[in-house]
Amino acid sequence: MRRELRYGVEALRKRPTLKLALWSVPDILPTAIYGVAVAHATDNFLAGHAWQGIAWLGGLVATACLGAAGSHQVYGRLGDLVEPLRDDLVRRVVGGALRTGDDAAVARLNRQVEIVRDTFAGLVLVIRNFAVTLFGVLVGLLSLAPLVAAFVVPPFLVGFALSLAVLGMAADRVRASLQADEELATASGMTFGGVRDIAATGAEEFAEKLVGRPIEAQAAAERSLAKVAALRTLCFAVGGWAPLLILLAAGPWLVGRGISTGTLLGGLTYVLIGLQPALNTVMGALGDSGLRYVITLGRILDSAAPVVTPRPVDEVNGYQLRLRGLTFAYGPSADPVLEDLELTVAEGEHLVVVGPSGIGKSTLAGLVCGMLAPTSGRVLLGGVPPSEVPVERLAATRVLIPQEAYVFSGPLMENFTYLLPDATISEVTQAVEAVGAARLVERLGGFGARVRPDDLSAGERQLIALVRAYLSPAPLVVLDEATCFLDPEAERRAEEAFAARGGTLIVIAHRISSALRARRILVLDGNKAAIGNHPTLVRNSPLYRELLGHWQPGGDQIQPAS
Amino acid sequence: MTALTFGTVARHGRGWLPLIGLTAMVSSAVTLALPSVLGHSVDAIVAGADYGRWFTIAAALIVTGIICSLIDTFAGTACVAGTTAWLRHRLVGQVVRGGPEGSREFDTGDLVSRVSGNTSDAAQAGPAAVTTVAAMAPPIGSLVLLAVIDPWLAVAFFGGVILVVGVLFVFARRTAEISLAYQETQGRISALLTESLTGLRTIASAGTTAREERRILGFLPELHKHGLETWKVLARSGAQAAIVGPLVLVAVLAVGGLQLVDGRITAGELFAASQYAVLGAGLGGLTGVIGEIARARAGVQRAAEVFAIDSVVHGTLPLPPGPGRLTFDGVTVATADAVLLENVHLELPGGATVAVVGPSGAGKSVLASLAARLRDPSVGQVLLDGVPLPAISRQALRTAVGCAFERPTLVGTTVGDAISHDAVGPVRTLAAARATHAHDFVSRLPDGYFTPLPKAPMSGGERQRLGLARAWPAQRLLVLDDATSSLDTATEMQISKTLTEDRHRRTRLIVTHRTATAARADLVVWLDVGRVRAVGPHQELWQDASYREVFG
Repeated sequence: MRRELRYGVEALRKRPTLKLALWSVPDILPTAIYGVAVAHATDNFLAGHAWQGIAWLGGLVATACLGAAGSHQVYGRLGDLVEPLRDDLVRRVVGGALRTGDDAAVARLNRQVEIVRDTFAGLVLVIRNFAVTLFGVLVGLLSLAPLVAAFVVPPFLVGFALSLAVLGMAADRVRASLQADEELATASGMTFGGVRDIAATGAEEFAEKLVGRPIEAQAAAERSLAKVAALRTLCFAVGGWAPLLILLAAGPWLVGRGISTGTLLGGLTYVLIGLQPALNTVMGALGDSGLRYVITLGRILDSAAPVVTPRPVDEVNGYQLRLRGLTFAYGPSADPVLEDLELTVAEGEHLVVVGPSGIGKSTLAGLVCGMLAPTSGRVLLGGVPPSEVPVERLAATRVLIPQEAYVFSGPLMENFTYLLPDATISEVTQAVEAVGAARLVERLGGFGARVRPDDLSAGERQLIALVRAYLSPAPLVVLDEATCFLDPEAERRAEEAFAARGGTLIVIAHRISSALRARRILVLDGNKAAIGNHPTLVRNSPLYRELLGHWQPGGDQIQPAS
Repeated sequence: MTALTFGTVARHGRGWLPLIGLTAMVSSAVTLALPSVLGHSVDAIVAGADYGRWFTIAAALIVTGIICSLIDTFAGTACVAGTTAWLRHRLVGQVVRGGPEGSREFDTGDLVSRVSGNTSDAAQAGPAAVTTVAAMAPPIGSLVLLAVIDPWLAVAFFGGVILVVGVLFVFARRTAEISLAYQETQGRISALLTESLTGLRTIASAGTTAREERRILGFLPELHKHGLETWKVLARSGAQAAIVGPLVLVAVLAVGGLQLVDGRITAGELFAASQYAVLGAGLGGLTGVIGEIARARAGVQRAAEVFAIDSVVHGTLPLPPGPGRLTFDGVTVATADAVLLENVHLELPGGATVAVVGPSGAGKSVLASLAARLRDPSVGQVLLDGVPLPAISRQALRTAVGCAFERPTLVGTTVGDAISHDAVGPVRTLAAARATHAHDFVSRLPDGYFTPLPKAPMSGGERQRLGLARAWPAQRLLVLDDATSSLDTATEMQISKTLTEDRHRRTRLIVTHRTATAARADLVVWLDVGRVRAVGPHQELWQDASYREVFG
């Protein structure tokens, strides 16, 4: 909670905060004048001076207009405080999402950032109003009769302090309630989306329990919040009602000391119209918006960019690849995906990796490209572990094209030259020709055409990503099922283009036909591996024979899954 | 089952309602009485007589108000929380027990919002009903009391209200456009972020994260600009509120003051009048009270629609011993606007592997869901070993019949949960997971079978393997509705080998698009637009050119 509050306080930049405070001054006037006007008006009416009384009330309306001018400015300055805070949150969410890949970030961007924006503004405003009211009432009471102020203000402040103490108790309960809410939504979403599956497995009781738990948790959280609400009522009794009763009790004594009827009424007016609503609002705002602000901001700050481990190695000598006893697992208690893998890929080689889906081929690509660090054993690229080389430097040595091709909304040319921003037109044209994307470029309307990923088929996006990789300065190319949405003929053309491009080519194969084009093939099977050329593997690897058997061209296996 | 109405929901909290109603009435009475009592107290102070009595009354009123508010907090929460939980349990049960056909017309998100949002609105039915009158009392009563003190005060009050309306009219401006522009810019930033997130692997490997960040945040200054606009709009309404606030009060005080000068009212009455003016201004809030009832009514209505889902009725019979013979006896499935299956007669021998093939829309999945009793035929019946499916007890049916889907939805907290809910033990879960090759990837998850489902991102093929593992323990009939379509061929091959060599000799009904699967089956049921076109071994049917066309 401390972190969120500090963040909020730091967001109060000096100049706008100062302006906000200054413009609050005219806003204080009507609050301060309220009781004074009522007091003098009443006394004048009592004395039979009707027009003086009316004049005091007119003065009240006049100061209200002045206050309105102040309010107008205050809201404007509030924007100067809140908008930079929102900007910073958007930056954090976007930066964090790009570094962690958290899909929930988009929802966070739209909902949570707005919640923090609104609650922060609300808090600044309510606290300011509270301060203005308190200050105004104090000024008014003191100018009216300091004695009355001495009876009214202390109990009010005690009540306020007590309600601040209650706030701490409320925080955990509000959090529990919000969490139960979210769990209820998740569990019921899962259950209602899976009614068919629940019926098919006879899991009705299980599902009822699954949703039942958050339902009960929610009810318990509400009941426990009621206790906080009761405490708040008691705080209000101290801060809002006690001043009134004390003033009434002291009434005869005050009148005896020369306090007028109007002044007494003015004092009551300050309590009922000034202090009570202010206390009520600030207690509500702190208890509701305040806690929502803390909790939501906490979520955003938690999901911000992770600490990046330094990558100290700066020199890569060539691009020979060596794997020595390479083992990788996704968690300490998880089975290894790759175990004790030994492999050397010389500069200029063409290697194809095959195996059933989910066997660890993409994990291997990630390790080779320095995106993952081995659990044990070593990966050496150009003599150094790639996971210790800065990514920007690594990008000059290897390029990874994943299955899900990335195309961003923008000119086609910018998409092509993403990895080589100063590529010439002729270089790009040559790459487009080589990979077989000329027809696509023509269809889209040339290099200058704007593309949107949603308008392209998966295969077209892959072609664009292939042109980009072809243009990359890196000598080692890793295609991780990067051609899976192309037809077999287009895939052949692209792979052959990369083989002829020079440098090393590693293809994580989607179709077995890719293997037939390579000199060496790595077969991954569970956490075992076999390596060799086509004839050797046909002899020695049952899995390779099986893969080959099912993937005969013309068989029904090449059909897309339906 | 009786339908769910406003009355039934309200009655559920009946233990609390008298208390809630009573405290609301007392609170309103206190609110109305207090300004007068305070006024009299002041008059008594000034007159120097009878002061003790009025002060005691004022103190008693305030304490009573506080006690009422405390009781109301607890009683109201207890009533609403209890009713909400009760409604939620009932609705969840209704959806779950209604089977897939029962909730077909509802979207998942819609059901979630009914259960999480509408139920808590509906639960307000009881308290709203008993407190409405009490809530209306202060604003209406204070206007009456204002008129009782002096009719001119009521006139002044309405004069003030007219002034307020006038000011609001002058300030009225269109504000919708500005917030729309803000949201559009926000949407643009989200869209760019979504786009970049799909290419995250490319971006991370190319080291272009900072460049992407700059590109996405390029819209931020525009958002900032629109954001400032929204504050300008608020500034206007803030200024407006500052002027409007005291208008009614000042009007009443001015008129009251003149009456005071004439000696028609006392200073205390003037004070009471000013307080009644403030309370009377709460008249606008009355729409809120009526709104609460309307919201409760709407919530009950939305809950009632879910409440009306019919539960699937299961029989009480156990299943006699048998090989798993599946019979479709004159089965027709019709919806309001289409006939999905028409007069299907099939006698499928126990222990056989039966493939169901046909073009899309032929009724393959409908046939599969009938076999697993995920829906009932409109005409005819489906029998397992001679017993009609609706006669079998739910437990016996689900132990005997398992069903796996093309897109399984996994239900549970962990991956292990999703395979087996009823804690039959890790041995059976493991056996099923091994047989369906789900174990291969589950064992590599960070916490294996204990990995929480949201933390285990899975491909379509991996989900299908879990779905198969879930259905695997079925003892007599295994229905696979295109349940291996996303598997790579090597894995699919291994699983069908396990299926063919099934030690338990269960009957297998397999909806498929693949020739190889049909070729390995003992029998193929060929469906076409809701009718059985032919039944026979694949090799025989293959002679027919239109059968070959089914496989493309």
